[in-house]
Amino acid sequence: MSVSKTNVKTGAAGRADGAFTFEGLGITAVLLVIIVVFSFVNPRFFAIENFLNILTQAAPFIIMAVGMTFVITAAGIDLSVGSILALSSVIGFDFMTSGGHPVIGVAIIIVVAVALGVLNGVLVAYLVIPPFIATLATMVSLRGLALLHSAGTMHYGLPEAVAFLGQGKVLGLPMPVLIALLAALFGYWLLNFTKFGVYCRALGGNKEALRLTGVSVKRIEVLVYGFMGLMVGLGGLVMIARIDSTQATIGTASEIHVIAAVIIGGTSLFGGKGTIYGSVAGAILLAMVANALVIGGADFFWQLVVTGIIVLFAVLIGNLREGRVSMAKLPLFGRTKS
Amino acid sequence: MEAKELLKLANLNKWYDGLHALQDVSLTIGEGEVVALVGDNGAGKSTLVKIISGAQGSDEGEIYLKGKPVTVSSPKDASNLGIAALHQSLGLVGSLNVFENIFLGREETRSIGPIKVLDKKKMRERAIELLGELAIDVPRLGVPVLSMSGGQRQCVAISRLLLDQVNLILMDEPMAALGVAEGQKVLDLIERLKEKGVSVLIISHNLEHVFSIADRIAVLKNGRMVGTVSPKNSSRSDVVRMITTGEGAGPEGAAQ
Repeated sequence: MSVSKTNVKTGAAGRADGAFTFEGLGITAVLLVIIVVFSFVNPRFFAIENFLNILTQAAPFIIMAVGMTFVITAAGIDLSVGSILALSSVIGFDFMTSGGHPVIGVAIIIVVAVALGVLNGVLVAYLVIPPFIATLATMVSLRGLALLHSAGTMHYGLPEAVAFLGQGKVLGLPMPVLIALLAALFGYWLLNFTKFGVYCRALGGNKEALRLTGVSVKRIEVLVYGFMGLMVGLGGLVMIARIDSTQATIGTASEIHVIAAVIIGGTSLFGGKGTIYGSVAGAILLAMVANALVIGGADFFWQLVVTGIIVLFAVLIGNLREGRVSMAKLPLFGRTKS
Repeated sequence: MEAKELLKLANLNKWYDGLHALQDVSLTIGEGEVVALVGDNGAGKSTLVKIISGAQGSDEGEIYLKGKPVTVSSPKDASNLGIAALHQSLGLVGSLNVFENIFLGREETRSIGPIKVLDKKKMRERAIELLGELAIDVPRLGVPVLSMSGGQRQCVAISRLLLDQVNLILMDEPMAALGVAEGQKVLDLIERLKEKGVSVLIISHNLEHVFSIADRIAVLKNGRMVGTVSPKNSSRSDVVRMITTGEGAGPEGAAQ
């Protein structure tokens, strides 16, 4: 056993859980390496303006990744985030451009997104449909509803106050970056310092143990997907405000982007363990790679190719770290052993 | 030697689809007494423990706690009566740390305005106190219990039962998956529970463990109580004979 043994009786009270360990070290190192490499390859990459640009582009995904961290930590998955984003944004946008009050319009986006998240939660918790299937189904159906609502229509022309959320700056910081930062801090607090956070981790780690303590597991599951919906609403709001437009196809394939950010960050796909810092770093990493590809003049579609490959590597690294596979048993690597 | 009576089961009966799983089973457990429940597979040991823990109801019979008749129709009833069950491998969350596990579902919180935040300091201090009282040796409290040994994990699982006022702890094969040294940790812990006046009803197939820890051994066969014996006055072969033949012990061996 690698853990050093100390009798708790002799441990100083209150500090018994020992030294602060920074689990995000790996992803931080990867980010720094990428920054250095990309900067050498193309000096245009290394500029404050470009970094703010990257963060602004990453912002909606950071926000959604905060929500997805809870879902995956609770051993769930949500494939419907892109469709929830589309449906809630076309409804809210349409309301605002038809003369509705901006505050009500924003509220509509958030409420619709939360309600759809809760719907996912109810399907998973009460109808006991596996999360992968439940959210695959809502992904398709909700996209269908978004298309029924606005197929072929490009909505644009947000009220100024709402556009500010995507385009404004406060103290030199773009609003999307500021909102993402606040969402991440809130998520960090929620995961680590509240009962809800502990229950999410317990739900993913050992659902039966949590149930035996008398905690309503179903209620927690609904809340997890509801919170995911809230983050999709917020992320979607930032996204449409930045580009001042939306359409029924917005957010297509964003689920893979958001899930990728969370997994790259080190949250276990098998549940029980999650890290908000890692998810934020993962979302930034993906945005950086995309940005570098754009600066390097690569076709947009390469982004999809690269994202998929990064996800596979992230899961592989996670499996190696958690001991699910060993290097010796991997094809290619293992041959030397046998 | 005469312990005050804590729990008394009188003529419990249980049927499963016509199978008479428990037949007029009676048993008393004294305060601070360790009673081992032994018998072959299908003898009714787990059924009996489930009935006391509230996980299952009995079809007939009475349960008395400190002389008063009680009904235990749910695990919640049981916990209100100070009866706690140790669940095989189900009780802990591997990815949570020691004190998060101990307090799971009963977290200490403090209020910042209308918002409730986990009081980690308080939980950590109470966990240290609790583990210290039971002399449970664990690595740092902040590590996931997954990284601990089986014996340490079982001790943490038992200690979390003591967070509430508890009179009786039910254990179904608590040493089953543990090695010798790890099993010994659990046996030592049971000894200390006894010193603290907590009663234990333990199911075990390991007669060596049973003889080293139990004050009395109750033998079940085919849903019937064969009898109870004291490990001091009877040998292992006596107990094995009771388990296999279902015949009661001689008068010198009977503890009741």
